[in-house]
Amino acid sequence: MSILKLENVSYRYADGGKPVLNHISYEFEKGKVYSVVGRSGAGKTTLLSLLSGLASPTEGTILLEGNDIEQIDRYEYRSRYVGVIFQSFNLLPKLTAMENVILSMDISGKKQKNKKERAAKLLEKMGLSGDEMTRRILKLSGGQQQRVAIARALSYDPEIILADEPTGNLDGETQKEMIEIFRRLAHEEQKCVILVTHSPEVAKASDEVYEL
Amino acid sequence: MYIFKDALRSIGRSRGRNILIGIIIFVIAVSSCVALSIGEAAGQAKENGMEQLEITAQIMMNRQAMMSGQEDRESMRDALMNMEELSLEEMQQYAKSDDVKSFYYTISASLNAGEGLEAVDVSGNSDSEEDTSQESGQAEQSARTQAEAQGAAPAQEPGFDNNGNMQDAAAGGPDEGMRGGRMGMQGDFTVTGYSSDEAMKDFLNGNSSISEGSMFDENDQENQCIISSELALYNDLDVGDTVTLANPNDEEETYTFTISGIYENKETSDSAGSMMGNFSPAFYAANQIYTSYENISAVAETSQAGAEVTTDENTGMEFSTAIRSQVNGTYTFASMEDYEAFKEETEEKLGEYYTVTSNDVTSYEQSLLPLENLSRYAAWFLAIVLVIGGIILAVLNIFNIRERKYEIGVLAAIGMKKWKIAAQFILELLCVTFLSVILGTGVGAVSSVPVTNQLLKRQIASVETVSEEREQNFGRMPGNGFQKDQMDGAPGMGGGPMGGFGMGGGTAAQEPGNPAANYISQVSSATNFNVVLQLIGIGILLTVVSGCVAIVFILRYDPLRILSSRD
Repeated sequence: MSILKLENVSYRYADGGKPVLNHISYEFEKGKVYSVVGRSGAGKTTLLSLLSGLASPTEGTILLEGNDIEQIDRYEYRSRYVGVIFQSFNLLPKLTAMENVILSMDISGKKQKNKKERAAKLLEKMGLSGDEMTRRILKLSGGQQQRVAIARALSYDPEIILADEPTGNLDGETQKEMIEIFRRLAHEEQKCVILVTHSPEVAKASDEVYEL
Repeated sequence: MYIFKDALRSIGRSRGRNILIGIIIFVIAVSSCVALSIGEAAGQAKENGMEQLEITAQIMMNRQAMMSGQEDRESMRDALMNMEELSLEEMQQYAKSDDVKSFYYTISASLNAGEGLEAVDVSGNSDSEEDTSQESGQAEQSARTQAEAQGAAPAQEPGFDNNGNMQDAAAGGPDEGMRGGRMGMQGDFTVTGYSSDEAMKDFLNGNSSISEGSMFDENDQENQCIISSELALYNDLDVGDTVTLANPNDEEETYTFTISGIYENKETSDSAGSMMGNFSPAFYAANQIYTSYENISAVAETSQAGAEVTTDENTGMEFSTAIRSQVNGTYTFASMEDYEAFKEETEEKLGEYYTVTSNDVTSYEQSLLPLENLSRYAAWFLAIVLVIGGIILAVLNIFNIRERKYEIGVLAAIGMKKWKIAAQFILELLCVTFLSVILGTGVGAVSSVPVTNQLLKRQIASVETVSEEREQNFGRMPGNGFQKDQMDGAPGMGGGPMGGFGMGGGTAAQEPGNPAANYISQVSSATNFNVVLQLIGIGILLTVVSGCVAIVFILRYDPLRILSSRD
């Protein structure tokens, strides 16, 4: 059964304007890695905004386990059900890597013991050292920031992982590591991983590919 | 809980901004603390003073009301001449009210020196009898306060109360010959008879004290009296000697009193007190003779019984040879509420031509005037500080929110509810406010007393300067006791209307030569728990007002738009 389903979804930025997404119907299941590919301006990031609950479709519905997400509290949806890795990471610059991760856990409201320990484990898993974990975001490299963004998205154990160009700032070796992490999350932890990407390597490593 | 934790962390992360906000709130808190403390001090001073104040009141005739009901001058004169004054029995009847704590009364009579006795005369005129009988109302009005200081009855002529209304003491008693045109001559001495010790204000407040012999018995009917040490020295009199006093209208009518004691009066040696005696020896403090009510009452009755009444053919006015005397009753009250209840009840019973007035309350309220002016000024200052402070804080908060727009976008994007974001921002502001208010209250509490006293000093100086200038404009010596103006505002202070002439009859506490009022010039403590609570309230109010701006901005922000614009 699909965890997330788009039924005939369209989106336009202005009333009467040209639709960015036009009658799209996709289904996403747990345990799989999905790639959404397309040329620039095809609406990949818009689709990610719809899936993450930051925007609402102008037509059609998005279903979470059969329920229209319009009927669900958007903030609860974003803080508990989906973990979003933004293209520009959207981390809080005045907080350390660790604080950014813990803040997400706090916001989700999920009861989690030893948040600090869990955050440290996640960051370590993403390849950050103890020293890097306590650095403010602006003192980390782009790659390190991306790892922190992934750790933050995973911190509250969401069912769905959404990532916008997750390997865009990474070198070849690290890209592979990241792809492996996403595959493991899908295949071992039964998460639904949806990646919006330009990268053919990422698309190739995915279980399914949707082209816009 | 994490909101509070994050709010505290955020304060530390944005020190510069929060220090700036803290300084502004600190300044507001100090200013507010001082302003509120001034208001509190004024309130406390009034409350405490009222509690300690012995409220005395008298029933007065309201001549103005009586005259305003008449059609022409003739009828006004008739009405005034036929005024029904309250007798001692009537006054005693009203004293039975539950509201009255006690009642005492005095009788004063104007008598001349008899054989072997001479009044202390500082006027330099030997024919004082002639001169003094011609003195104008102004001289008597000023001199009247001298006798009133002893709790004696005021002079007979119509006066003005502290509200500027024409009134007269509702005197009664044996001397009915004093009404209207039945005027008599002014004597050299004012002889006052007291019903009880309570009526002898100067002895109670320490202005006078027995230096030789003893006080007369209040029930004495054997003409015992006390005289001033100055008079004793002037006439070489001792305790046990007798003095003879004569009816100024009939020198053959004499009365003999035995000196039971000699008293010292501080007033006799001061220049202002001496000056009063320039108008008539009877008004000079040294020429005040005190005895029991019974004695003077008996003298007045005897004189009245043997008096001859003649009518002036030209004017039609009656002239009585009876000794001038006047009975004055004073009611005391345990509280302001009792006084007000008595006033309401008695005025209702007596009708519009009588009024109950209390010089104590009026004088006390007058003494609070500079403090209350300052309090009013402080309230305006507080309002301005709060408005300006509130606006500055709101503007700072708007800048703060705009500066942190990205943070708001990120927090909303990862699922933090907008009200929680707003709550965190308000909590940050509240913490800074709270800390600043505590520091501001501490500094304000320490500085409020000296600041209040300094401002009060200036306010009193300002009130007194205006008062003195006005006296000079009238060609009078400032502070000579002729004019007791009440200032209800200093220049630039937005004061109210000017008070009326404070020359009412009764037992005025004011003394000639003293300033118009004994203004409260010092406060000892001003900041109390009430002020602290109000400051906390102000802090919360400022936070809420400026926080509302934050809430409006936060609710308007769309996280997707914020993040997209940053991308």
